[in-house]
Amino acid sequence: MTRPATILLALVVVLGLAAPSLAPNPYDHQFRDMASASPQPGFPMGTDDLGRDRLSRLLYATRVSVLLAPSAATISVLLALLFSALAALPSRLVAWTLSLANGIFLSLPWIFLFIILRSKLSLNTDPLVSVTLTFALMGVAGWAIPGRAFTASIVEMKDAGWLLQARAAGLRPWRIATAHAWPHLWSLALAQFRILIPAYVLSEASLGLLGLGVADPMPSWGNLLRDLQHPDVVQANPWTLAPLALLVLVMICLESLTPSRKAAL
Amino acid sequence: MTPVGRESTFASRLAPGRLALGFLTFIATILIGGFAAAALVRYSPGFDVDEDVLNPHLSPATIAARHAQREVENGLPRFYLRYLARAAHGDFGKSEAFNLPVSELLRHRASISAGLLVRGTLGGLALGSLLAWLSVWPRRLTLELSAAATSGLLLAIPPAVLALFFFFREWPLWLAVALALLPRVFGTARSILEDFYSSPALLAARARGLGSARLAITYVLGPAAPQLAALAGVAVVLAFGSLIPIEGLCDVPGIGQLALKGALARDLPLLSALGLIITSLVAGVQWMGDLTR
Repeated sequence: MTRPATILLALVVVLGLAAPSLAPNPYDHQFRDMASASPQPGFPMGTDDLGRDRLSRLLYATRVSVLLAPSAATISVLLALLFSALAALPSRLVAWTLSLANGIFLSLPWIFLFIILRSKLSLNTDPLVSVTLTFALMGVAGWAIPGRAFTASIVEMKDAGWLLQARAAGLRPWRIATAHAWPHLWSLALAQFRILIPAYVLSEASLGLLGLGVADPMPSWGNLLRDLQHPDVVQANPWTLAPLALLVLVMICLESLTPSRKAAL
Repeated sequence: MTPVGRESTFASRLAPGRLALGFLTFIATILIGGFAAAALVRYSPGFDVDEDVLNPHLSPATIAARHAQREVENGLPRFYLRYLARAAHGDFGKSEAFNLPVSELLRHRASISAGLLVRGTLGGLALGSLLAWLSVWPRRLTLELSAAATSGLLLAIPPAVLALFFFFREWPLWLAVALALLPRVFGTARSILEDFYSSPALLAARARGLGSARLAITYVLGPAAPQLAALAGVAVVLAFGSLIPIEGLCDVPGIGQLALKGALARDLPLLSALGLIITSLVAGVQWMGDLTR
């Protein structure tokens, strides 16, 4: 299952990255006399209600999702590593504050932050700004999940026998951290990174469907799914289901490559 | 870990230090959530508009004095304390979009969301646990694979898309909430059940010839109860998270739809109140969950 999933994912990533070369038309170009056109030569998936080529928009949307979900996951993991490193300090107050901050971040309803962010952005906000803000906020808001795993691991390491032996052998703290602690944390960080990617892909899709994610005309899988709110459009052109099919396919591939949370911890 | 080991872990969770930390986290979360809510209202556009400027009966000196007084009163720390005190009495201000007190709006819509939430959570817990049980207890590969495939497929579909499908088919929406919850419940419940299923205590009891039902109740469901209760708490939070897209897209007049309408109308008093209430709920449920996990 792992190999087909990897191949399929690689194919989707290549499609996304090569969107500018593969897309027959610019993603935001309106063919005003071709609004809601059915599939035909020149528009293999037809056009949307504004006359934009569906295939080109799907290719560009793939690029947005496959590039930015891992970027948001990277932000979360880096922030989590940065904050969790404080758990290595001998102070109990620092450990307590870290636990408190973690609990608070896990409790705050982040969907409200997205709602408020969108309500603060003006209607003519640059799409690039909205896409960057959406994924950056996802990355910042998500640090607490990997943070909890890193903190637990660092606290466990502090009491480990090998650490005492390394100290007794006269190794400097920096050497212990880089040669012994980091390899363990690195594998944990990779596992957390892989867990966060599908979570962010799905989050963007849900936000986009509500109109709270990436702003038009920039396409994303989330805002392309908005067509599903009109069953008549779906019935007239089944290609409107293509973004959902691609999303489900990518999610299944990502899940099959994702370590279980238990194993990651 | 053996059931005995788990019981001792559970007891350590209830140690006074842990209880105090959990309670402090709960209070701090509410205070920070409240501060964020108050700051949003305080710095919302139009908050500082001074209507005195337009009053021809006031002298410039009076206008300046009143403006200075308002600035002192509306400084963030004072405003925050006033906001919290009013919120504690159920006064969350007036919605700009609906022109009604926020508390009244919440009262009208809470029962609709509560119905969807309770039925969806119970359904998700029942279906997820049943699937987890089927994939662990009978030890049949076909059942294990079918359960994993069902859960994997449901995890790959955004809850809002699932809800739209149910909405257009005119099927009950709580079932969409339950199906969105199913894979999250399934993963954790299966992991909990697997731990107990392979415990030495259960293997010894099975070797003594105990019946399946007794084994399941005494060595799996009983010891796993605290963790399953924690899972129920998490399920409530997850189901609540799915209410906003589901109610917003499927035209259900509940709290989730109110939040979405508030966002689209840039109704900051309403959003702040909802944010504060939901933060309190989530923090409370997580605290209870942490105690039993």
